Amino acid sequence: MIYLFPLLAATTNNPIFYLQIVAVAACSAILTISLNICMGYGGLLSLMHTGMQMVGGYTVAVLMLKKGWNGWLALFMSIVVTAIFSIAVILLSLRATYLYFGMITLAINLIAMEGVRHGGSLTDGYNGLFGIIPPGITTPLMTPRSFYIFALTILFITYVIQRNIMFSGFGRNTMALRESSETATALGVSPNVHRLKVFTVSGALAGLAGGLLTMQIGYAQAEIGDLNNGLIFFVGLFLGGVGTLAGPIIGVSVVAVIDFLIRGTAQYRSLILGSILLLCMIILPRGVVGTYRASRYGSPQARDFDPAEAEDYELDIEVKDVVKDETLLEARDITKHFGGVHAVDGVSIVFKAGQVHGIIGPNGSGKSTLISALTSYLPLTSGSVDIFGKAAPAKPHLVARMGVTRVFQIPHLFDRINVLDNVLTGMYRQDSYSIFDAILRTPRYRKANGRSVGKARALLALAGLIGKEELLAGSLSHGQKRLLEVIRAVGTNPKILILDEPATGLTQEELSALTGLINLLATKGMCIILIEHNVQFLMNLAEIVTVLQSGKVIAQGTPMEVQKNEKVLDAYLGRADFSKELT
Amino acid sequence: MVYQPTRIMNFAQGEGFILGAAVGYLALGVWKLPLWLALIVLILASIFMGFIMERMVMLPVQLSGSKFAWIIATLAAALIFQSLFNIGFIGASLSYNEIWNKSFEFFGAQIAFQKLLVFVLTISIVITHDQFLRRTLWGRSIRAIAHNPDTSTILGIPTKPVIKLAFIIGTITVSFVGFLAAPVIIVEPASGLFFTIQGFTAAIVGGVGSPKGALAGGLVIGILDSVVRSTLGGTWGLFSTFIALALILILRPNGFFGKRVEGR
Repeated sequence: MIYLFPLLAATTNNPIFYLQIVAVAACSAILTISLNICMGYGGLLSLMHTGMQMVGGYTVAVLMLKKGWNGWLALFMSIVVTAIFSIAVILLSLRATYLYFGMITLAINLIAMEGVRHGGSLTDGYNGLFGIIPPGITTPLMTPRSFYIFALTILFITYVIQRNIMFSGFGRNTMALRESSETATALGVSPNVHRLKVFTVSGALAGLAGGLLTMQIGYAQAEIGDLNNGLIFFVGLFLGGVGTLAGPIIGVSVVAVIDFLIRGTAQYRSLILGSILLLCMIILPRGVVGTYRASRYGSPQARDFDPAEAEDYELDIEVKDVVKDETLLEARDITKHFGGVHAVDGVSIVFKAGQVHGIIGPNGSGKSTLISALTSYLPLTSGSVDIFGKAAPAKPHLVARMGVTRVFQIPHLFDRINVLDNVLTGMYRQDSYSIFDAILRTPRYRKANGRSVGKARALLALAGLIGKEELLAGSLSHGQKRLLEVIRAVGTNPKILILDEPATGLTQEELSALTGLINLLATKGMCIILIEHNVQFLMNLAEIVTVLQSGKVIAQGTPMEVQKNEKVLDAYLGRADFSKELT
Repeated sequence: MVYQPTRIMNFAQGEGFILGAAVGYLALGVWKLPLWLALIVLILASIFMGFIMERMVMLPVQLSGSKFAWIIATLAAALIFQSLFNIGFIGASLSYNEIWNKSFEFFGAQIAFQKLLVFVLTISIVITHDQFLRRTLWGRSIRAIAHNPDTSTILGIPTKPVIKLAFIIGTITVSFVGFLAAPVIIVEPASGLFFTIQGFTAAIVGGVGSPKGALAGGLVIGILDSVVRSTLGGTWGLFSTFIALALILILRPNGFFGKRVEGR
C-alpha cells in the first residue's frame, strides 16, 4: 500500500520526489531483511550491516566511475564483493560468541569506514564518489519512475528469497542454531559452517541493498556506513517484528512514513524517531507482526483431527546397513575426570544393533557423563570409543552425522518454532536439495520437502501429536515435549538412539506410546541406549542392563540377573522404594 | 557498572560524559558558579539522568522478550539524549576554563594540573569502584544479580532498586569524568556515541565487567592512539584503535582479563 502511494501521488506537483522516497525506503527494506536473516533468524548480533551496505555501494561506485564497468555488472559485483567481505569477517570471528561477535562487527564496521576514507584515489577519501547514474534496459538511463519499479521488484524478490530460505531445511537449521547451539549440534548441524552460510547470505543481500541505494542517491560516502544511519534499520526491524517474514517490510514502511511526516524538523528527527522506538518497544514489545502472531487472531490453533487420520500416514523407518546383534558402539576403558572427581572411571561397554540397552545407577554415578563422553561432547581423559568399527570423531556434530542421535535429559526443544518444523529440523540431512533449489522452489525441492513432511507427520501420528503441527513447541505440555523430542531424534534416521531419562514426568498414556515406539525401533534393528530412573519401565523394555556406581560398572546382564545381583542391591540400599522393587 | 547487574552494554553511557561536560560548561563557563555549587548541580543532574535512563532502557528490555532488545533500547536512549544535547547546545564546544590552570614540569614535559587531576581521579574511581563491588552490601548485591537475577531475588535482594542504583552510580561516575575532562579534550554535544564506542573498545581490550581490566585497556588504547597519531598522522589514530580491537577480539575473544560471556 505504502509503496504504491507514489503512483497515486503521481498527479501531484512533484511526483519524482515521492518516487525517490519510496525507492530509498525499498533499499532500506532490503537491508532490513538482510539484518533480519542475520539477527532475527540466525541470532547473530551484527552491528556492521551499514558497513556492508557501504561496501556494496562503493563496489558499484568504484566499478562504474573508476573502471567504467557496465552498471548491471557493477550491481551484481556489489553482491559478490559484499558476500566475500562477510565471509572474511565471519572466518575471523568464528570463535567469538554473542556479545563479542557484535563487538567485532562493530570494530570491523569502523575499520571499513576508515579504510574507505584512506582509500586514496580509488575511493576519493573523505569526499566520496559522486555522479553514479543507474543503467537502463532499453534507454541508456533509467528514469526515476522505472528505477522505482526496479527497486520495488528487487524488494519483492528479496522477500521471496527470505521466505523460501526460511521455509527450507536451511532456514530450520538457522532457527535451531539460534534457539540452542547444543541441540542443533546433536542433530548433526555444524554450528560454524552454518553460521558462515547464514552470514554470507545476509551479506550478499546487504551488498545488493547498498548497490541499489548508491544508484538511487547517486553517490557513495563513508557516512553511509555510519552506525547512526543504521538506527533506521533497527527501528524498522523492531517495529515490524524481529524474526518474522513480513516484519522488516512493514517496519521500514512505517519508519519511512514517519520520516516523511517529520521532514520539516530535521534537528528533532532522531529525538522523535528514538522516542517512537522506545514507545513501540513498551507498547508492542514483539513488533507489529510478532504481536499479531501472539494475539488470538494470528496465533496458530490446534486443529481437531479424526483419529482415523493417524492411519493415513505410513511410516517407513529403516535402519540401513545394520545386522542384528552386530556391535555398533564400543567403549574401551574410558575415563573422564573433572579435576579430582572421577565421573567415569574405566568403563568398557558394548552396544549392539537391535538391542535396548538400559543404563541405571544412583544419582551422580556418571550416567550422563558417560553419554557425553561416548558422543564426543566431552573430551575423554583416557580410553577410546569406536563407532561402527571406526574411531569416534572429535566433534559432536560429526558423531551425530554418523548416525548416533542423542536426546538430552532436560528438554531441548526449539520452543519458538512450531512442532512440525521441530521434527523437520532433525531430518534435514536426508534432504537432497541445495539452498538454490530452496530459493527457486525447484521440483527437486518440492519433492524432497513433501517426502520429509509426510514422514514427519507419520512420526507425529505415532506420538499422538497429529493436529498440533502448527503449535509452537513451547506451548506443549511436558510429556508432549519429551515425546516430540524422541520423535525428532528418530527423524534423523539414527542407527543408535540415546535417550537420557525420557520417561520422567510422562503420563501413563504417554509412557505406553513411548514403550511402543522403542520396541518398534528395536525390531527394525536400531540400537537404543536408555538411561532411566523409572525401573519398572526400564526392566520391561531392556534386553540388557548395565549398572553404574561412582563411575564404574558394577553389574551387567539381563534385567533378571541384575535384579538379583548383590552389589546392585548394596548400591541402592537405603532407597527403600528401589530395594522393594528389586527384591 | 551498569553492565554488571543487567548484562547490558549501554550505548547511552557516553551521554553521561556529555552531561558532565555540559554542566561544567554551563555552571562554570556561563553562569560562573562556585565549584562546590557546580558539583552539587552535577550530581543532581546525573542522578536525574541515570534515573530516566534506567526507565528508558529497562522498561522496554523487561517487556520485550527479545535477546536484542537492549541494543535497540540503549541506542534509542543514546539517540534521544544526543539530540537533546544537540538542540540545547547547538554548535557549542563544551569547554570551560580549567579549574586548576597551572602546570608543572615533569621530566622536561609540561603537564597541566587538570590532566593530572583527571588521571589521578580516574585511578581512584577504579579503585573505589572495585572496593565498592567487593566490600559493600550494595556492591555484593550487584555482583549477585550479575550471576543470577532470579536467585538473587529469592535471597531477598531487591533486584530492581539495585539496578536503578547501578544506573545512577554509573551515570555519576561517567559525568564526573566528563566534567573534569571537558577542558582538556574536545567535547561536542553529539559526540556521546563516539565516547561510548571508545569506552567499549577499552572495556573489551581489558575484558568486559572488570574495572581493573577497563583501566588497563583504556591506557593501552590511549597510548596506542597517541603513538600512532604522532607517527602516522592524526587520521590514522582511530584506524589503529579499531584494528587493535579487532585483533584482540580475534586472538583472545574474551579480552585480556575477562571471563566468558554467554548470551542470556
